[in-house]
Amino acid sequence: MAKTPPAVFQQRFSRRRFLGTTIAGMGAALTASMPRISVADAKTVKIGMNIPMTGDYAPWGLPGLYGCEIIANNLNAAGGVEIGGDKYMIEMASYDHGYDTEKSVQGFKKLVLEDDVKMVMMLGGSTVASIIPWAMRKKMLTTTLLPSDITPDTPYLVATCESHPLYNVTGVEWLAEKNPDLKTAVIITTNDIEYGKQSAATYKAAFEVAGIDVLDTNFHGFDVVDFAPIVSSLLAKKPDIFCMATDVYTTPIIEQLFHQGYEGKIVSCTCDGYPDVIAKTSKEFVEGLVFQFPDFDDPKLVGGDVNFPDPGGFDAAFNKDHAGEWSAVAWEYPSILLNWVESAQAAGSIEPTEVLQAMKSDESPAHTFGPGKWWGAALWGLDNAVIGDWPVVAINDGRARIQEFRSVYNWCETNVAELSKQMKDLDLRVA
Amino acid sequence: MELFLQSIINSFIQGGFFALWAVGLVLVFGVMGVVNFAHGELVMVGAYTIWLLHSQYGMGYIPALGMAILLVLLIGLFMERFLFRPKREDPLGGLINSIGVLFILQVAALIVGGTGPAKQVAPPFSGTLIIEEIVRVPYQRLFSIAVCIAALSLLWFFLTKTKLGWSLRAVALDREAAALQGININRTSMIAIGVSGALAGLAGALMAPISNIYPHMGHNVIITAFIVTIVGGIGSLPGAVFASVLYAFLHTFITAYFSGTIATMSGLLIMVLVLIVKPTGIMGRRISE
Repeated sequence: MAKTPPAVFQQRFSRRRFLGTTIAGMGAALTASMPRISVADAKTVKIGMNIPMTGDYAPWGLPGLYGCEIIANNLNAAGGVEIGGDKYMIEMASYDHGYDTEKSVQGFKKLVLEDDVKMVMMLGGSTVASIIPWAMRKKMLTTTLLPSDITPDTPYLVATCESHPLYNVTGVEWLAEKNPDLKTAVIITTNDIEYGKQSAATYKAAFEVAGIDVLDTNFHGFDVVDFAPIVSSLLAKKPDIFCMATDVYTTPIIEQLFHQGYEGKIVSCTCDGYPDVIAKTSKEFVEGLVFQFPDFDDPKLVGGDVNFPDPGGFDAAFNKDHAGEWSAVAWEYPSILLNWVESAQAAGSIEPTEVLQAMKSDESPAHTFGPGKWWGAALWGLDNAVIGDWPVVAINDGRARIQEFRSVYNWCETNVAELSKQMKDLDLRVA
Repeated sequence: MELFLQSIINSFIQGGFFALWAVGLVLVFGVMGVVNFAHGELVMVGAYTIWLLHSQYGMGYIPALGMAILLVLLIGLFMERFLFRPKREDPLGGLINSIGVLFILQVAALIVGGTGPAKQVAPPFSGTLIIEEIVRVPYQRLFSIAVCIAALSLLWFFLTKTKLGWSLRAVALDREAAALQGININRTSMIAIGVSGALAGLAGALMAPISNIYPHMGHNVIITAFIVTIVGGIGSLPGAVFASVLYAFLHTFITAYFSGTIATMSGLLIMVLVLIVKPTGIMGRRISE
């Protein structure tokens, strides 16, 4: 005969109670496994990216989206960002304009009207110029990586990260100080107004200030299949410094320098693919090559005034999922996103005009490589670019390593007249 | 003097590449009457094949070069059988189909290689030949020019000394008359595009270690190939080779002594002048209806 359970036990484990307890337990378990913020509390703020993700300019778009997704995921995983007493999850909304001006307008309107984004990040150049009238009427906070897009009529357009190509001056200044015997240079660059000529004018100003004569400047198109003739022509001038003002063809140009027996110094705006350059030349040949964009696992990015959380971890996360796709924009757009978060928190609002007001009211805004200053009126007619320190990078023993940080702001304040003159000489717009 | 001598060497190397690009285009146009706008993208596929197999998977350069030739040859055969043959009586249809292939191959390259900076291939033949400290030629470029000359010589032998080559030339001269003589037009077309594809694959494989590799690299190839083809004479293989060397010298010397932009403008100007003064090109022939 089976034992009858004690009355208390019977009472505690009645069928109804069992079911009730089980459901409650499952509910509690499910609740515990949910994020700390309840669904009712979770708000979402969308940040737009109207960038080239296909076509020739894709390397200056897509890696930035990947980088922003890493930062947004990290912020969201930590519970989101608190703005004005509310918690917000950050969602990236992107549009691929393929560096086409008409698509850029389409994408911008789509992001603002349909996705309700609170800021639109863009690369710059003609694709920004095409959206300016509408974006300014809408008072939409828009960012560019080319501060030369800024005019007195673009109050809602800011450049808070890359100050292309002003940062180039620090590399020349550093090289000239370390090597006072360098007296001559040649410059090679693409013949476009937005990137190539702006950069060439800046380098010319930097060389002039450093007391270095520019013997020749070669503006080439995007249709060059063989750089041997151009490099031969420039090397015939026997320069002490060979300067590459844009980066699209860095590798084949340096390869030609190697094969044609160049023995002087090399300066480049960027050299993201320097491991490929070494593979095509030699570690010894590129030793001391100076450029402006660090690897993000550089020890000098840890601590100090650098305003980027865990650069090494970011670098590892990016390369884990997107190996071989790194370019400077991989950290530049995320840096702008972080600027936005800080300003939105200061404003206590996500509304574009209020965030912009908070940004502009900060007299020492956070720039990626340290505190910056609003600048630009002297050159473009409006102080809407954040300019601060920028690293000078050189290749040492096969690795790109930051040599030191130098102030772009101080250089610009001192030498803006020379910069304006060189810009005007190349028919570029100045205030 | 150094610049002058170096420019001569640079011209010959460029001329070899221009000729490889152009003869494939001429062959397909001559035999099939199709302007293959995807020819530049076939060169690009050859370059990507080297990047993928040699740089990414470690295959030897020469076997990878063979694979590039084979792959592009197969793409060419596919295009002939399924895209050009059904549109044989409609040259515009063939042209539009080739533009479609152009876009498909660009997207395929993007999928295979991803975005980011242009792909690079370390040269398998490193080092530089230095002559009297005046002229310098990288061994990779020497290899490329030697292969270009060998490939063009083989093509010349094939076209002038073999029955298949004769049939190709016969179809290029008059397709209907050739068919009446018992020449299989379908087979001849397959051979023409096969040879064209193989040359494009070879050109891409040779370019890979000395240039940027990216999905749109075919644009520059097709523009140059068109200039050379029109100047040399549309449909004329010797004309294409001659015009390639001529254009390479012109382009290289103007680039070295003036600027690359003026060199490109000069090339286009010469093309326009040829079209006005001698529309059949330097070695082309007039076809009377």
